[in-house]
Amino acid sequence: MTAVVLAATVGALFAIGTFLLLRRDLIRIVWGLAIISQAANVYLLSMGGIAPATADSVPILAGHGEHVPQTADPLVQALVLTAIVIGFGMTAFALVLSYRVYEEHGTLDVTELGDRE
Amino acid sequence: MTATPVGTESTLVIAPMIAVLVAAVGTLLLGRHSRARAAVSLAGGAGYAIAVAAIDWYIILAPDAPGIATYQVGDWPAPFGITLVADGLSAFMLTMVAILGVASLVFSTRHLPGGEERSYYFPLFHFLALGVTGAFLTGDLFNLFVWFEVMLMASYVFVAYSGGPQHTRAAFWYVSLNLLASAIFLLGVGGIYATTGTLNMADLAQRLAEPAAYGLEPVPVVGLLGLLLSVFAIKAGLVPFQFWIPTAYRAAPPQITALLAGATKKVGIYAIIRLSFTVFAGAEVAVNLPLPLVDVSIAGDSPLPFVGAALFLMASASILLGGIGAVGRDSLEGVFAYSSIGQVGFIAIPVAIAATTTAPGLRKFAIIAALVYALNHTLAKGLLFLAVGTVKSATRTSRFADLGGLASRSPPLAISVFVGSLALVGIPPLSGFFGKFLVFDAAARARAGPVIVLLLVGSLLTIAYATRMWNQSFWGAQTPAVEAATIDSVQVAVLVVLAATIVAVGVGFEPVYEFAEAAAEAALDTEGYVDAVDPQDASELTDSSGGGGGDH
Repeated sequence: MTAVVLAATVGALFAIGTFLLLRRDLIRIVWGLAIISQAANVYLLSMGGIAPATADSVPILAGHGEHVPQTADPLVQALVLTAIVIGFGMTAFALVLSYRVYEEHGTLDVTELGDRE
Repeated sequence: MTATPVGTESTLVIAPMIAVLVAAVGTLLLGRHSRARAAVSLAGGAGYAIAVAAIDWYIILAPDAPGIATYQVGDWPAPFGITLVADGLSAFMLTMVAILGVASLVFSTRHLPGGEERSYYFPLFHFLALGVTGAFLTGDLFNLFVWFEVMLMASYVFVAYSGGPQHTRAAFWYVSLNLLASAIFLLGVGGIYATTGTLNMADLAQRLAEPAAYGLEPVPVVGLLGLLLSVFAIKAGLVPFQFWIPTAYRAAPPQITALLAGATKKVGIYAIIRLSFTVFAGAEVAVNLPLPLVDVSIAGDSPLPFVGAALFLMASASILLGGIGAVGRDSLEGVFAYSSIGQVGFIAIPVAIAATTTAPGLRKFAIIAALVYALNHTLAKGLLFLAVGTVKSATRTSRFADLGGLASRSPPLAISVFVGSLALVGIPPLSGFFGKFLVFDAAARARAGPVIVLLLVGSLLTIAYATRMWNQSFWGAQTPAVEAATIDSVQVAVLVVLAATIVAVGVGFEPVYEFAEAAAEAALDTEGYVDAVDPQDASELTDSSGGGGGDH
């Protein structure tokens, strides 16, 4: 059940991100990129494995300082933390850059920015 | 080479990264004092070059060198910690980048784009170098992602550096494309972790070679390798991911564009070679894709044929698109940017040949061809872009309409650009001749007739645009912009040194070939790589009581 919910979440986030990425407003594009990064993070987290939660397997209920039967995978959590921080820096830069684009071109409309070349 | 002692640990491996990091932080702290800043930068560059030379000699080229050395960051054992690995392939790429980086650094100290008060150029330069160095040295897939991001972040700022309308527009497209590529990289990394349970490259190679022993189902690895291949193709600029190159190369300052074309592009190629040959070549995943219209099927018992087929398509399109695009441009950077797209196709064709063939001799030879061509491209394209920097800082323009007669204005500059162009075309005795010759030889040995025709067409296009560029800007009568130009002699001296290096690599090709051969052997030697890193099992870790942790 959890797997289905997580998969649907990742899919929905990617869909929303792609939709926003194809809009005309520069800020919507930045939002789309941020959402796609977050979708990749949720995906990365769910790659750590999903196990059914019972009273015997949830560490805080079963352990209490004794030997813990099973823990969540800490490696993916570390990976996601790194990815979140990198993503936050990039999003901040992208937002400032879009402000600068507005200052230089006077518009946030992608179709009016002109050719890529 | 003598027998490789297993698990050679050496702090020399991390020395280049430390040199560049210290230089980056130092120049950041010395924000206002421009002379001290330049001095620290140059010292950092010199330290970097010395560290790379030390790695080359002590680890690869010396008669009793081990051939590979590792460094565990924080003393955490592999695969739980981050491994840095310096083998022949990493050392070869580092040497290329060191030569170009020092040249670009000297260039930058002579003419700082935007003037002296812009205090962030040098720290960003060193962070860019740090990202490239880290990507070449790392032995962990997620660490590769982190170094890619470090490199990209610095290059984002550089593309937007001049702050004008076309620069901010170019930077925005560049940032958007690479943010998307980073998300796809994460998809690939996450999938590989879920499938194999590890991200350390040596451990990955080990597990994929015997999936049954570890209880793995390795089939998804092929698709994930495809995702990663697309990300590296974006970095390398292969078609269909090439469209960001002309805009970004034109927007960044020319000495940074030299680094973008010479260093960051090679990171993409290096990642493709490293992952395809060292990590995934031994994977026990059979690939079988029958192509419907052509009566051929892509089949093999490792993911390599799939990689080879994809690279063939991308490289062929790159050669054609780059060559045809370069002929019609109207500015120096435009020609060189499209030329870069074409040249990367030339580098990727032998990699594709190496991936599709099963003969180990041909595989090694094709990788040697790719590496020698990459070296030639770094030196020649780096020289050409730095020359664009000289022309731009002297005449304020790089459009063909405004340029002419540069040869009579500054003969040393003209000679250097001439040598660079000839190196691209492939005239003996320059390095380009050997690069082209080896690539053609690899294609001939693989009996790939259409590929040879394609390479010929690409070479003809190279001659066409190089000649056109030379005619338009260097020959002819001097235009007013050229007559009034003040050409910096130190910059021209750097160009002459680079041109001399190209000639030296061509004339003294034997040692370069041996270095490239050591690099190709290192790329294909998966067992040596795994033995040197020596990833431990979790059970071995709990046996060693209390030890093996970091001391902090």
